[in-house]
Amino acid sequence: MRAVRLLVWLAGSALCVGMARAVGPVDQPDLIKHRAIVYFATAFVGLTIGVLVWERRPDSRTGLLLTALPFVEVLSQARWIFWNHALPVTIGFASMSLYAPVFAHLILSYPTGRLTTRLDRVFVAVVYAYATTSALLFLLFFDTRAPHDRYEIECWDCALPLTHVAWRDVHRASHVLDLTLLVVAPAFIGLLIRKLLRATPGGRRIELPLSIAAFAAVAQLLAHFALNGSPDSPWTDTPWFWISIVVSLAVPLSLGVGLFFGRRARSAVADLVVELQRTPPGHVQEALARTLGDPSLELALWLPDQASYVDSRGAKVELPAAGPHRAVTVLGSSDSPVAALLHDPALLERPGLLEAAAAAARLALENERLQAELRAQLSELRASRARIVQAGDDERRRLERNLHDGAQQRLLSLGLALQLARAELGAEANGASSLLVEAEDELRAALDELRELARGIHPAILTDQGLGAAVRSLAERSSVPVRIVSLPGERLDESTEAASYFLVSESLANCAKYAHASTVRVSIARRNGNAVVDIDDNGVGGADATRGSGLRGLSDRVQALDGTFLLESPVGGGTHVHAEIPCAS
Amino acid sequence: MATRALIVDDHPSFRRFARKLLESAGCEVVGDAADGAAAIAAVRELGPDLVLLDVLLPDMTGFDVAEEIAAGGNRPLIVLTSSRTASDFGSLLRTDHAKTFISKRDLTLAALAALASEAA
Repeated sequence: MRAVRLLVWLAGSALCVGMARAVGPVDQPDLIKHRAIVYFATAFVGLTIGVLVWERRPDSRTGLLLTALPFVEVLSQARWIFWNHALPVTIGFASMSLYAPVFAHLILSYPTGRLTTRLDRVFVAVVYAYATTSALLFLLFFDTRAPHDRYEIECWDCALPLTHVAWRDVHRASHVLDLTLLVVAPAFIGLLIRKLLRATPGGRRIELPLSIAAFAAVAQLLAHFALNGSPDSPWTDTPWFWISIVVSLAVPLSLGVGLFFGRRARSAVADLVVELQRTPPGHVQEALARTLGDPSLELALWLPDQASYVDSRGAKVELPAAGPHRAVTVLGSSDSPVAALLHDPALLERPGLLEAAAAAARLALENERLQAELRAQLSELRASRARIVQAGDDERRRLERNLHDGAQQRLLSLGLALQLARAELGAEANGASSLLVEAEDELRAALDELRELARGIHPAILTDQGLGAAVRSLAERSSVPVRIVSLPGERLDESTEAASYFLVSESLANCAKYAHASTVRVSIARRNGNAVVDIDDNGVGGADATRGSGLRGLSDRVQALDGTFLLESPVGGGTHVHAEIPCAS
Repeated sequence: MATRALIVDDHPSFRRFARKLLESAGCEVVGDAADGAAAIAAVRELGPDLVLLDVLLPDMTGFDVAEEIAAGGNRPLIVLTSSRTASDFGSLLRTDHAKTFISKRDLTLAALAALASEAA
């Protein structure tokens, strides 16, 4: 393919040089000869840029179309430079009208080289049809020797096209065809604006320079038509000649600017390498977004353990299906991806850039991935801790219920039976009766112990009436006087209520056992989505959460719910328990 | 005429012994019910003087049952009872529709006899 492009470039260059030189011997004023050199040099520049773009993006049709454009220009001039040779005249007429459709095709299909919408395809097809019709009219019926008032000078030794059939006056028909340009050109402008509006921001940035050049070209055509009644500007008209040269150069040059920006982006990759050294973990996405010029870029890191993508916070990410507004590029090999970039499809027009940036970011990405993995594991761990606490609470609740419904009920019935037995015996059986009284006392003690046990496992009042009532009931039973400062009036979620309750219950028990306190203050308040629990006594202090399993277990329970636990117990300064537990409801 | 009593409790063994205990206390046990709905129906049908009402029933709480009974025409003396203690119920026990609460642990012949004579 490279050889084909080289051949095309050589052939095109030879054509430009040959045609420019051919103007020399022709009996023309020097002005025309000089302008011929400028004209063909312009075509040569267009040809060279076209082949370079073609070389860089061989799979896109843009390079091919850009290369075709100067060919069409140059060849169409053959009809007057070699006016007395039939073949060049034929080629000249054949290529004369092709400029417009190739131009429209190039602009509307940039940068992918594909016409993406149906309307674009129809439009380009119509312009090709127009050009073909126009060319056929001239190839079949035009005769340079016939008297024509506008198109060519009368020329008695001009060659006829090889395809000439008979003379017809094509002047009027071609005039009509010229007028259709007046319709086609605004339609083209409309399609171009529509294309720009539909483009993603990144795509628009790429398309804008060429679009401006295209607008200029169409404006020049329409202006010349309006002022002179013909779309083609002759070489003798100084301002129009130079304007047409500038416009002809603008199209390939604006495409070249895109290439230049591609280079600039590569140096941005070099900046990225430096920047990533200073990028803290979790910010590689921003660095990549800046380098690639796509603020919408998202980074999804592959976690092999979970066989899924996560973002930098460790949350799962589903890769979207590629569409007109979102593209996905997987970095690394397909069987062991490192990460995926979710980005503006316009970046696909610069695949080298994406790869270069990804290669530069590889180490940082690896690091980022480890961080994300850690975070994902951490959040999984946290969730599982919370689940364990929840499961424990559920189990305690079930146990309490079972004790209440089972053993406790049977013992209560037994107590009633003993009472009845005592009543049946009456006053006569004194010995047996007092034995029964003892049995009843024993039974009552057993029931009390069982009830305490059940309450310690999970108090029914907490399940049925919530934290406020449960803590009030704790306070009533406490041997140290309790002053309740505040309690939540509403229900909180089960885990928060259970953790808060056991925090108060354990603290009150410790206070009664060790603190020698005369009063203890309990406060539970909702603040910023947390249940804030404070238990302060005025005892001897010196409690240590790391010793003894009671407070230690509570600290673990609070942390499992993502809360914080703080114990302050200076010797002689009382004991202060402070905990904040997130509560959803 | 003996005090007509109704027993509401979901445990059959408790109902059995409670019946004997009430009878020993001089009541006539006119019926029993295992859940709240049956209790409300039984009160309407039998018109008892005394209802021994368990707080934790399978379909509703004894407090709700007491309220329903009070809303009907009958005004029996309602005695709430439970295997739990008063402190397990906290503020819920402040009900206008029940005469009193006796924990099942403290359900004695003497206490029942006193209530029976009050209900009669």
